[in-house]
Order: sequence, then structure tokens, then C-alpha cells
Amino acid sequence: MKKINIIFSSLLLAASLLVTSIAQAKDIKIGVSFRMLSDVGYKHGELIQDTVAEWNSSGGINGKKVDLILYNDECKSEKGVANATKLAYQDNVHVIIGSSCSSVTLPMVPVITKAKVPQIIPHSTSSKITLQGSEWIFRVPVSSRFYKIVQAKFTAENAGTKIAHIYVPDQASMDFSKSMIAYVKDEYGVDPVYEAQAGEKETDFRSYLLKAKATNPDALVCSGLVDETVRCLVQSYEVGIPKSVARVANSVASKVEVPTNAGKAAVGVSYAAAFAASDTRPIAKKFVKHIKSRYGVVPGHDFSQMEDLLTMLKPALEKAEKRFSGDLASDRKAVRDSIAGITNFTGLASGPISFCAAGTPECRDGNRTPVMIEYTKGGKNWKTKVAGTVTFNASAGL
Amino acid sequence: MDKFKEIIRQYPFLGFIIAFIILMLIPSVFFTDLYQSHLASLICINIIVAAGLNIVKGFCGQVTVGHVGIYAVGSYTAGCMFLYLGSSLWLTLPAAILIAGLFGVAFAIPSFRLEGPYLALATLGGGEAIRLFIENGDFFMSTYGISNISQPVIFGVPFDTPDKYYYIAMPVMLIAIYFSFSVLRSSVGRAFMAVREDPISAAASGINVKKHKMLAFVLSAMFAGGAGAVYAHLPPGYIHPNNYTVIEMVTFLAMVVFGGLGHIWGGIIGAIIITIVYDLTRPLYEYQLFIFGLTIVFTILFMPKGIGGFIDKYFIDRRFKTKTGAMSK
Amino acid sequence: MLLKTNKLMKAFGGLKAINKVDFELPANEIRGIIGPNGSGKSTFFNLVSGVYEPDPGSYIEFDGKDITNEPPHKVGELGLARTFQLLRLYQDMSVINNVMSGYHTLVPYNFIDAVTGRKKIWDQEKVIKEEMMELLSFVGLADYAELNASELSGGQRRLLVLARAIAGKPKLLMLDEPAAGLSPVNVDNLMKILMRLKEKYGLTLIIIEHILKVVMDTCSKVTVLDHGEKIAEGAPSQIKDDNAVIEAYLGKKMDDEEMRKALAV
Ligand SMILES: Nc1ncnc2c1ncn2[C@@H]1O[C@H](COP(=O)(O)OP(=O)(O)OP(=O)(O)O)[C@@H](O)[C@H]1O
Ligand SMILES: [Mg+2]
Repeated sequence: MKKINIIFSSLLLAASLLVTSIAQAKDIKIGVSFRMLSDVGYKHGELIQDTVAEWNSSGGINGKKVDLILYNDECKSEKGVANATKLAYQDNVHVIIGSSCSSVTLPMVPVITKAKVPQIIPHSTSSKITLQGSEWIFRVPVSSRFYKIVQAKFTAENAGTKIAHIYVPDQASMDFSKSMIAYVKDEYGVDPVYEAQAGEKETDFRSYLLKAKATNPDALVCSGLVDETVRCLVQSYEVGIPKSVARVANSVASKVEVPTNAGKAAVGVSYAAAFAASDTRPIAKKFVKHIKSRYGVVPGHDFSQMEDLLTMLKPALEKAEKRFSGDLASDRKAVRDSIAGITNFTGLASGPISFCAAGTPECRDGNRTPVMIEYTKGGKNWKTKVAGTVTFNASAGL
Repeated sequence: MDKFKEIIRQYPFLGFIIAFIILMLIPSVFFTDLYQSHLASLICINIIVAAGLNIVKGFCGQVTVGHVGIYAVGSYTAGCMFLYLGSSLWLTLPAAILIAGLFGVAFAIPSFRLEGPYLALATLGGGEAIRLFIENGDFFMSTYGISNISQPVIFGVPFDTPDKYYYIAMPVMLIAIYFSFSVLRSSVGRAFMAVREDPISAAASGINVKKHKMLAFVLSAMFAGGAGAVYAHLPPGYIHPNNYTVIEMVTFLAMVVFGGLGHIWGGIIGAIIITIVYDLTRPLYEYQLFIFGLTIVFTILFMPKGIGGFIDKYFIDRRFKTKTGAMSK
Repeated sequence: MLLKTNKLMKAFGGLKAINKVDFELPANEIRGIIGPNGSGKSTFFNLVSGVYEPDPGSYIEFDGKDITNEPPHKVGELGLARTFQLLRLYQDMSVINNVMSGYHTLVPYNFIDAVTGRKKIWDQEKVIKEEMMELLSFVGLADYAELNASELSGGQRRLLVLARAIAGKPKLLMLDEPAAGLSPVNVDNLMKILMRLKEKYGLTLIIIEHILKVVMDTCSKVTVLDHGEKIAEGAPSQIKDDNAVIEAYLGKKMDDEEMRKALAV
């Protein structure tokens, strides 16, 4: 008797779940999967929830309510794949937002491609993601293929093409210098005026710096890990390389140890980013103030990219909704096409973002304008300013 | 009913054939979407690992916190064989099981001298060392993982969607369970338990303690390795070092603890329940770790032998009572 | 000789726990070992069964084979079984599994059979289980077969370790204080069961026991240890009157009244 009761009540429960899911089928569903581990991670989640709540309270998408389904993938591909599969096949979402780590977004792409659900990336930068050729993936952040050559382009355009390279035998440091050398050679046909690979664990770069100095370069590249970069920068002033020679470091320059430890020698060193809190545009200032007051943190590029993503997604959804037929597959296609139609979106990103129909990196790496941030003061109370932006053509770095 | 049980006990293979038929039918009867198949495959993979872990931890009593490393060995054996040799699951699975078994030998050696927390530390170190090794090697495509590891093709049909892959993962799981049941119900299983309970008196009964520790480690490593390979090929066929951390290890351990350490069904029950509960609490991501921590603490406090032990106790007590009750009459 | 030791020695630091003990035991005998606390009785067992490694110069022979440096499981395989003073039950295993693991060396199938789960092994398991259930009935624990060993009473536990040791059909069974802590009625019961088992399996026995009555009643010969040395050996009646033994064991010579009390327990 008891067993029958249990079976009966569970059937009832299943039926009621079914009914509610049918009732909800009319809403527009957005699924989210990204890393929400730390305090800041949760705040990204809150940003999405608050934004969607605002949409809903101001009439939703053409009067339709937006359902938000938020999952955490902890930066683990196993969870990301499961989330994508669940969102695509069980939660029946119209569009997926995700993810943070490239190693999670990468395997999500084949999943959503097979399921034919559009996905729009808030954070992952790996160029491999869009190289897979999926028509269902869109990227808001700047692709790593641009980051890889942005210093080269920025230096050549702003300082000159007479460049001296000193790098340490670490893989990343060597790659940075080599790809910079290749870029300048390809674009300008110029070889470096000086190139030296320091020895393993070497801490005194002065002999290299003196030789570099003798070549009278426009720019000096110190490519190493944090410590080596700092030493190289400081020693470059010790050997008397003038201030007018631009100092260039690889992406370690964005770590706080560089300005803190290099002190004055860090001034003028720049790094590429997707967003700078020191951005002086009114839209950026307003956003920084808003995030600070609401979530108590200074927003980095992860906040700004999520904000841009949501801002461009809303009108795209509105446009797509007009073509909704109630059939999930065709509605998803409508959303995809509508996102692919976004051109020249201007938001917090330093340049316009444009997508197009083909499933190629040219079409789907929509943001091609990293911003260069430069140290204006070193030491503990280091300061930065926006030094400028670099805009790439769609096929750069491929 | 008793007669049926007796027949199953006599012909264990029959039980597995029945289970196989039921499990083959489950998707078409109960599953309403592909995600359920994906989850079912994940459950199968977790069952394999947990059943293996139950052999070494539950039955043989050897603490190991390095098993996730061996799981990674299985995954990366499969991943690398696919990447460099283009091998399919039919080749990578046995290779992964074999290589994981060799790693099992390495993990068993500290257990000859160390016990409890010290052994835990040693195995933890081993597991982490494997992950760090993978993480820092270009050979393993550490940064962006190994992608698009192929799915098997049978009679020209590629098993490349979650619903189809279930029919790969499930039989592998059943075979693993079959092996685990066979071993644990035999004299070898009893010897494992004896080693766990008291190695000195086990030795006095003629049980070679070192040999059985080694067997337990190697067997359970083979389970983990096989599971790792099945995971590597799971659509979309992607592996990355991030999936083999201590957190995954704790989850595997939680499965065995919750299901019942040293209970023959322990790892299986635990893997099913924990994977499903984890899935149901996905939207509650902020509290998930808390919920899981609480579950483990409550299990250890109030059900030290997990669900399996709890159920067992209930039936055995009842049987014992009817027996002694009959006696007193 | 079934068991023979020659100049058996074991020192823990400066303490000579066993000092040059020569010991000989023919098959089918019941030997008692007595001696005050700390005299080295348990150490003697541990040395013979391979739990401790004897000091150089020692020699142990069992059933015609040199087992001086064999590991304990090898000694067990050869047919030397023992119980422990602290029982060492498998607490968290069922009573039947406790006994069945004592059968380990006689299991007719190998590891590969076990992994592959061939039908043959289930038939063999069934036979083993039946046999072990019979043994449990013999010691009166059949009804408790499925219970955890930890749920047994003290007396039942002593019966269980006995059953476990006999399960492997040993040639020699060494019992370390099998009756310790039992009430007189239970001591009698245990000894009765033990004698029946000896008959049934044709066992040779060595019994360490502080309850003198047990030793005097059951053993055909008694070896006395003191400070790790063998100080006397002989029939119980002889030992009872040996001055050295009385001094060592009882501290002083007892009058008849005291002796009667000690033996009555
Ligand atoms: N593992 C060990 N390490 C150090 N000393 C030991 C060890 N085992 C035994 N001893 C010492 O050896 C001596 C003999 O101990 P043993 O246990 O053999 O005595 P026993 O005759 O069995 O005594 P009892 O009647 O109390 O059981 C004791 O002094 C004991 O402290
Ligand atoms: Mg003793």
C-alpha cells in the first residue's frame, strides 16, 4: 500500500513539473555557465541576475519574461560540458553565456554546435575556440591572437621599428620576443637591431644592455618572468639607456610586482588589456562607479565584458523574438542570426564589436581593439593611464 | 524470491545479463533528453572509480588520496594514444587499464611501510605529482587540453552523442562491477578485509599481507584507469588537468564513504546518489560545497558505514532476530 | 618432532625476552607453557609464528622445515596456527567471514579464478561455507554467523578466535591464554570444546595459560619459562613439585591449602 502511495505521489510530482515546464516554455531562457568560485566570481553572477531582473521589470524582451539559469563550472571542463549539455537538452535555453576559462569553453563548443544552441563568451580568450569553425559561437573579449601581437604593433606604431630584444630562456618569454620579431619583420620588413638570449638563472643583464645601448634603439624589450623583467628594466637605466627609448615587457607587466619592485623604472612600461578602470570615457567612468557602489569592487575586464555582452544581447534577443515560431530549434537559430547581425556595437570595450554570419574567427572574434595601459608612476602607490588602443583587422594573427 | 536469489548466487553471470538488459532499456523507457544520458554516462564512470576505490580503501583498508592521479593516468593514456597514434577506445581502454595498473604498483609500495594519515599524505603527494607533471608538459597539451578525442564506431555507427555513448560507458561499468563483485565475494575479498582489520592475525592465517595490499592497489588502479579512459572519450572527448585535482578526489571518496566503505554495493550506491544530488543542486552552486561537507560529516557521524551498511544492518538484524526469536520459543 | 627450537633468542634492547630456549614438541602432544607475567611466553609464540624475527644464532624447525626467518604468512601456510593474547579478531567482519578467512590457505581456486568469477569458484565457496558453518556449530556460534564479530560477548569471541585458528586445519595450534577472563563454567566449556576439536582434527597443541587447573588437567607435559629462560619441563605432577618453578611462579612455597586454592581457581 505504501509503495503505491510513493509511486503515485512521485508520478504526481513529475506531472506537475512537466506542467510548469510547459507553462514556462513561452519565456525566453538564458543559460549561464562560468566560474563562480571566489567572492568576485559570485559578484559576476549577481551582475547577470540583477541585469536580467532589470530587463524583466521593464517589460522583458518584447513583453516576454526572461528566465535565467545560472550554473557554476568552477573552471573545470567536466562541469562546463555537463552544464552546456544540461542547458541545451534539458533546460532548453535559447542562448548560453559562458565560460570564463578557455579550457572550459573549448569543449563546450562542440556540444553547443551539435545541439545547435548559440553561445556567447564573456571571458575566454584562447584563439583555438573560434578556430573550431562553429557557427554557434560568439566571443566578446579580445582573442589571444590579437594579444599575442599587440605589443609588436603598438611598439612599432608608437616608438619605432629599431627594436632591441633581451629575453630569458623561459618558453613564454622566448615566444613573446620571437613572435614580436616575426611580426615586425612581416609588417615592416625590419630585423631587430639587437637580439640576445640571457643564460639560465642569469640576473645581471648589463653586458647585454650595454650592447643594446650601442645600437641606439627606438625600443628595448625585456622579456622574462617577473623578477628578470624587473631587473632588466632597472639595469637599463643603470647602464644609461635614455628615457626616450621605450621600455617594453611581455604580459607579466600586468602583475603588480612589476611596478612595485621596479619603481621608477616601470614608468612607461605598458601592457594590453580589454578594459581599464582608469578609462576616462564617460561610459567607463559611469560603469566603474556603478559597480563600485553596488558590488563593492573595482571592476576589471571580466565585469566590463559581461556588461557589454548583456548590453548587446538584449536588443539581439528583441530582434530575434519577433521571428520566434515557438519551435525551439528555429528560435535558437533566430537568436544566433540576430547575434551574428550585431555590428559596430560600442560599449565598454575600447573599440567597436562586430560579428558576421560565417563560423570563422574573422566573424566571431568580434572585439579587435585591445587597450594599452601604461604605468605613470612606480613603487607601492603605482599608477596607470590608458596609453592608447590598437585596432586589428579581422584576420590579424591567424 | 529466495529461490531467485539462490539462482543468482549460483550463476552470478545471469544476474549481470539481467542487469545489462534492464540498463539497456532504461534510456528508451525513462530518459526524456540527452542530458540524462550524459549524466548516466558520468554515473557509470564514477561508479567504476568508486567501486575500485572501495576495493583498496573499503575492503583492504588502505587510505589513498592519490587515486585521482591514476584516473588522470587513464585519461591521458587514452588522450595521448588518440592524439599521437589515432587510437580508438578499443585500444586506449586496455592500454589505460594496463598503465594505470603499473601506477597502482607504485602507489602500493608506500603502503607496505606507512599507515593511516602518513599513507594518505604519501598517496596525496603521488596524485598531485601526476597532475603537476601533466600540467607542465607540452606533450600533454596542458594549457588547452586534448580535444576531440574520438568516440568508438560500431558497425559504422559512431557513438558520438551522449545518448549513444551511454551504451559504451554502461557495459564497461557492468564489466567492472562484475569483476569487483567476483573478487570481493571470493577468498581474495575476505583476505582484503582481514588485512584491513588486522594484518598481524591475517598473516597468522597464512594471508600474504603485502601481496594483498599490492593486489588491492593494482586492481583499484586498473578500475580508475579504465574509468579515466572512458571519460576521455566521453563526448565531446576533451581532457584537461583541471579535472583531476584534490577536489575530484574528495568527491570520489565522498561517494565511497556515503555509499558504505567496505560494503560490496558501497561505491555503486554512493556514485549514483552523489552524482545525482550534485546535479540536482547545480543551481545552488553557492551552497554546494557546504551541502557536500555537511553530507559527509553527517554520514560519518550517524551512518559510519554509509547507506550500504545501514541497509545491511537492518536486514541482518531482522534475520538474526527472527532466528533467535524462533530459538527462544 | 613437529616443532623444534634451538638456542632461540630474542632481545628487546637490553632485555632478553627469550634466552637460548631449546624446545621440542612431538606430534599429537598437548603442551602447556606457564610462567609469570613478562616471562616471555607470548614472545616465544611470536618468534615461532614469525611475527618477531629471532636474533641470530636461533633456529626454528617446523614439520621438518627450517622456518627461522620465514615471514608469518609462510609459517601459517605450512600449517602452524595460533591465537593471540589480545584476540585480534576481525571486528568489522561477520562471524562467518572471520572463520572463512582462517581457511585462506586451503582455498582451492586462485586469484585469476576469483577475478573472472568462474562458476566453479561459487560452488567451491559454497562448500567452504558449509564446512565453516559446521565448525561454527561445533563451537556453538552458528546462530551468530551473520553478525559482526564486534557484537559477540567476551566468551563468544574466544570461541571465535579458536574456530578461526582451526579453520585452516593446522598441524599445530598454539593458544595464547585461551581462557583468560572466562568464568569457571565457561572455562570448562571451552576446554571441552577444545578437546573435542583436538580429537576431530588430530591437532597438536601448545597452550599458554595462567589458570593452572587448565594446564594441569589438559596438558601431558608442561614447559616453564622465567625471565626468558626455560627453567623446567615435565609432566604436570612433576612441575607442581619443582622448587624452582614454585619459587618463580608463586614467589614462595605454598602449603597444601594454598596449592589447592590455586589449582581450583
Ligand atoms: N615488541 C616488544 N618490544 C619491546 N619489548 C617487548 C616486546 N614484546 C615483549 N616485550 C617484552 O618482553 C618481555 C616478555 O613479554 P611477553 O609478552 O612474552 O610476556 P608473557 O610471558 O607473555 O607475559 P604475560 O603473562 O603477561 O602475557 C616483557 O618484558 C615485555 O615487556
Ligand atoms: Mg603473554
